[in-house]
Amino acid sequence: MKKKSGKIVSLLLTAVMVLTLGAGCGGQGGGSEDAKEIKMGTILPLSGSQAPLGKIGQQARDMAIEEINAAGGIESMGGAKIKMVYADSKGDPATGVSEAERLITQEEVALITGCYQSGVAMPSTEVAERYQIPYFVDVPSEDQITERGFKYIFRLAEKTSWRNRAQTEFITSMAQKYNTPVKTVGLIYENTAWGQGAVRAWEKYLPEAGLEIVMKEPYPANSSDLTPVVLKAKKLNPDIIMMVSYVSDAALLTKTFAEHQVKPLAFIGTSGGFADPTYYDLAGDASENFFDISTWEPDVNRPNSQEINKRFQEKYGYAMNAEAVKAYAGMYVIKDALEKAGSTEPDKLREAFVATDLQSGPAQMYASQTKFDETGQMINAPLVICQYQKVNGKMERVTVWPEKEARVGSQIVWPYPGAGN
Amino acid sequence: MGFLSVVANGLSMGAIYGLIALGLTLIFGIMRIINFAQGALLMLSMMVSYWLWAATGINPYILVIIVGPIMFAVGYICERCLIKPVLDEQKDVREPVAVLLLTAALAIVLENAALMVFGADYVMAKTSFSTSTIALGPVTVSAARFYGLIIALLAAGIFYLFLHRTQVGCNIRATGQDRNAAALMGIDVPKTYAIAFGIGTALLSVAAVVLIPFYYVHPSVGAVFMTKAFIVVVLGGLGSIPGAVLGGVIIGLIESIGAQYMAATLTAMLVYLVFLLVLFVKPTGIFGSPYDW
Repeated sequence: MKKKSGKIVSLLLTAVMVLTLGAGCGGQGGGSEDAKEIKMGTILPLSGSQAPLGKIGQQARDMAIEEINAAGGIESMGGAKIKMVYADSKGDPATGVSEAERLITQEEVALITGCYQSGVAMPSTEVAERYQIPYFVDVPSEDQITERGFKYIFRLAEKTSWRNRAQTEFITSMAQKYNTPVKTVGLIYENTAWGQGAVRAWEKYLPEAGLEIVMKEPYPANSSDLTPVVLKAKKLNPDIIMMVSYVSDAALLTKTFAEHQVKPLAFIGTSGGFADPTYYDLAGDASENFFDISTWEPDVNRPNSQEINKRFQEKYGYAMNAEAVKAYAGMYVIKDALEKAGSTEPDKLREAFVATDLQSGPAQMYASQTKFDETGQMINAPLVICQYQKVNGKMERVTVWPEKEARVGSQIVWPYPGAGN
Repeated sequence: MGFLSVVANGLSMGAIYGLIALGLTLIFGIMRIINFAQGALLMLSMMVSYWLWAATGINPYILVIIVGPIMFAVGYICERCLIKPVLDEQKDVREPVAVLLLTAALAIVLENAALMVFGADYVMAKTSFSTSTIALGPVTVSAARFYGLIIALLAAGIFYLFLHRTQVGCNIRATGQDRNAAALMGIDVPKTYAIAFGIGTALLSVAAVVLIPFYYVHPSVGAVFMTKAFIVVVLGGLGSIPGAVLGGVIIGLIESIGAQYMAATLTAMLVYLVFLLVLFVKPTGIFGSPYDW
């Protein structure tokens, strides 16, 4: 009996607190005086097969929030602290939608961040747009997300097709720098939506740069033998070979290229299998001098990058990855917007994001300048090229391009010297 | 000269497909057990070979001396404890479907057990000849695959002699043709079944040691080769050893040469097209006996 009445009292108290908060917001139009806590929501896959990916995103956010709150919170709002409410999407679009709805209507968050998968981002951003609540997309990269004319969606990540654009820029700049004319490109890709999407982007950007696609070779994922494809590439002899592969096929391709001594100017992977930690265990020395594209690497030469990664490692026991960096940097972009808005009112917050031009602080580990275009897309989302190189006898991913972000003291190997050289 | 390399690769890869199918030729072609666990058993052989190689570092081909008996035991026990009781129940059924379902279930159990024990990471044995090639005149062929070709032909030859020249081999063939007649002739049918299944599984260990120097090992690796193995067995003619080798080589050549003139994804279609054509012209397969069914 006693317990029950205690429960009722606490329920009543909660109700009173919620009501007074609501009244404060309504009366003050933003409640900049009373809001000692800014409630935000994050949608991540926290259970299911993608749970480890969601977890590192949560840890990165928590670390940034702890830092921001410890440093005095949001000054323009009287030192208000950030409070993050995490919602589990299970990696499922339908769950993502209902969680977005719940965060907005029941948790009454000022802003939503998330959500790892593009498949979840597409429908859940629609919910936020409908309620006119800002949605900060940190990781999903599907082109469409910022191409739907939405007003409350801001994306920190690059568009998928930008990776292919950056690869093209890399080729052009290398051709000039090392005076090795590049005319032809061969594309080898797994025959999936991912591979075909990359090919569509390459078909746009490569010809624009004056490069001719002489080989376009799809293969079935998890092939038993990729020698036929490799021999075809050897015969057609393109100047550059670009690949989209998951790790098993990536390793098989790499080894078979080495076996048959195929020697273009460069092999360039498109993340995925080439970024997998088991890739060089499988491919061994054959992976030496292969290029891959990414947005952040532990060795990248950006302000604060090494220090923050080290702090993260001490706190959680493992290094950050590109997704964690985007989640972490994103929190500082949000902090910057809140400082400028001085309010949690959606429209003021939106205005602040539109006016964002962040060129200092911890977000530097991701990009030197954070600025959104009229579609809410981050302008010039950073991309780097890394190369598998032997450092002190151990194979490492060495960031080599662009020059100002390359690992200090690193050197690009261009053109490809051939396997074992 | 590039074309000859393409043919050489097709030949060696095809012979390896044939080698993978040899065990199935015995189990499915002769003993008429539709064994869906063959792919999973290949995966198990590869896992065992890989971990033995990783532990000892000796030439994987020599490891067959250890892996072969292990896999024979696995096959023998599988037959005795799992397949035999079900077969006995369906003694009078010409096509024992329950066994088919049993082997499918065994495949799922083996794959998930491997996932639990070995994890989902891809591994590959990095031997001294893993990325080297052999130049035969103007033709370059991957060393690991070329050794595979030789081992496949050797294994097929020895297996052929075993089936045709030894008492056990004759028992197996007789049991495959007619279980009851074989029993009446004094053959220990249950034991012959178990031995046949054991040998069919042990043959996978030969394929496994050939594969691990150039192909990755993963709990789902069996699926990559299993459909091909069934096609090879039917294409070459049920129970025919030369048929299995030839069937494998045909598929290898189609994949290798076909990919030079079309997208690699289309060669899979071409394989099935040729398969259909052969079955249309000769329903028993290339070397299949018309009296067999």
